[in-house]
Amino acid sequence: MTEMLPDKVRRISQHLRPNTRLINYYWQRTQRNKLAVCGLAFIIFLVALALIGPFFTLDPTAANFEEKNMPPFGFTIEQSIYNIETDEYTTKEISGTCEHPLGTDSKGRDMLAMIVSGARVSLLVGLIATGIAIILGTIIGVLSAYLGGWVDNALMRFTDIMMTFPFFLLLVLIIFIFGPSLAFIVLAIGLTGWTGIARLIRSESLSLRTREFIVAAKALGASDNRVIFRHLIPNVISLIIVIATLSIPGVILAEAALSFIGLGDPTVPSWGIILEAGQYSLNTAWWVAVEPGIMLFLTVLAFNFLGDGLRDAFDPKSNV
Amino acid sequence: MNNAILKVNDLKTYFFTSRGIVKAVDGVDFELRRGECLCLVGESGCGKTVTALSILRLFDSPPGKIVCGKISYDGLNLTRCSSKQIRQIRGKDIAMVFQEAQSALNPVLTIGDQIIEQIKLHLPLDHSMARDRAITLLSEMGIPSAERVMSYYPHQLSGGMKQRVLIAMSLSCDPQILIADEPTTAVDVTIKAQILDIFRELKARRQMSTLFITHDLAVVAEIGDRAAVMYGGKDVETAPVSEIIENPKHPYTSGLIECLPDTSKSTGRLASIPGATPNPIQMPQGCAFHPRCPKVMKICRRQEPPETTISKEHKVSCHLYT
Repeated sequence: MTEMLPDKVRRISQHLRPNTRLINYYWQRTQRNKLAVCGLAFIIFLVALALIGPFFTLDPTAANFEEKNMPPFGFTIEQSIYNIETDEYTTKEISGTCEHPLGTDSKGRDMLAMIVSGARVSLLVGLIATGIAIILGTIIGVLSAYLGGWVDNALMRFTDIMMTFPFFLLLVLIIFIFGPSLAFIVLAIGLTGWTGIARLIRSESLSLRTREFIVAAKALGASDNRVIFRHLIPNVISLIIVIATLSIPGVILAEAALSFIGLGDPTVPSWGIILEAGQYSLNTAWWVAVEPGIMLFLTVLAFNFLGDGLRDAFDPKSNV
Repeated sequence: MNNAILKVNDLKTYFFTSRGIVKAVDGVDFELRRGECLCLVGESGCGKTVTALSILRLFDSPPGKIVCGKISYDGLNLTRCSSKQIRQIRGKDIAMVFQEAQSALNPVLTIGDQIIEQIKLHLPLDHSMARDRAITLLSEMGIPSAERVMSYYPHQLSGGMKQRVLIAMSLSCDPQILIADEPTTAVDVTIKAQILDIFRELKARRQMSTLFITHDLAVVAEIGDRAAVMYGGKDVETAPVSEIIENPKHPYTSGLIECLPDTSKSTGRLASIPGATPNPIQMPQGCAFHPRCPKVMKICRRQEPPETTISKEHKVSCHLYT
């Protein structure tokens, strides 16, 4: 009987799925969600825009009062112009030009250039702040779950205390104290945003910690470090990816909201800053506020779609 | 042949929980001799697994704690040595095979990654040497196209293959002692026979000393040299396997043997031991087995039975023989 069996095993093993790396498998599962693919496509477009766009656009800081408040290409608006010599208002029709396809703002700066460099800032804010939050949250969550006992208690009570502060008010407070520089804004968002992540990672790690393969790894002589980095964290990576994707839009929005209430870094043209400047000229030049608004909307939507798709792909119980 | 490689003396492992002290292991004595297969037998919850985990100190602490006892291996008391020492012993000198291969393998790493990692941890080999060793081991365990299996993830293998991988992994650093915690429980009968073959071969070829934990007396009869029957955290009877099967002394052991279905007598209900294993927080007074014992006497309710020697190799803890 034992002679026959390897043969049988061989036959069974031929029926196994072709060997694919896990990442391919998850990519195939993500692909089945069309919205997620659209989201990913938009994010790739955005990243490309942020990386190479500024080399092709006009200087986003060059003011030109001759060409202020020009509408986007294809739009025509009536503008009243004050003539200082005759002391009269005259109305003049202005149409958008190819030179400024998205129009200009009240200082005559090219909107396309501003949107493109704004993408750079907003994405950078999103990635770095989320990165800080994820790293902090993962370290605290994993340590808390793995070490347990008083370490767990101390870390989780600290997390609870952090969570009792309203997130946005805390941000406002930090920026009031340290001043509205972009570095501080990013740092502040990162340092306040890890609490929920730590909780999620902890609960996931807690259930992993008692799984047999962790005990088995220890039984084969693995040190704590090894167990954490080789066995625990790789098993929460999927969760980390999903959390990261879903928290990037939150961070971008938080930065935009801060800018909108006047606490943004005025020296860096993020979408929030452009939007904030545009709100005062909604009557005369609606595009200044609407364009960054649309970009924010699409970006947040894209990240959320992708995040949802990834979550379904990583969840073995979902049938995508 | 009669030299002990691992000696467990009066081991007590308690779990201090909020509901009370769980005396999972409460005074276990046995020795594992070089090249033999010793079976720890007993129902669920009698402390077999905790005994095994105590040897490598793998239970969660707190709440678990070895309150007393001695586990000697190679002149070392494993209950006392530093956590660094025990880490070097784990996998290198004493390896463990777990019950469920599915959950004992890390789902996000390939089989190769896991075995190679394990080999590199204990042996001074580089990556390609470790890889070769892993492939050799896997083929030795009867895994076809071992090289391909190296790049598989656990979920791509069948239960029996996973169990083989697990055994290969625990053997990867030539351990002196193999602890197998119910390795045949989670697989079907044909695979079970193959796994038992592997263990038998290990004993024959490598003179592996194996501590085999099982609740299945049929398995014990298949591969065991000696058996220690555990009940309520204690070892109640220790004897060579043939003695245990043919001449059981402890009423619990004979109960277990009567429970085995006898195919020559095809009629009637299967025998069973009435009742269930005692609550480990509140062990019965006296002999832990007395509420279920068919031969219970007055003294059993009051006094714990001492260990009695039936013959040189046969020891039992029961008032019937004192």
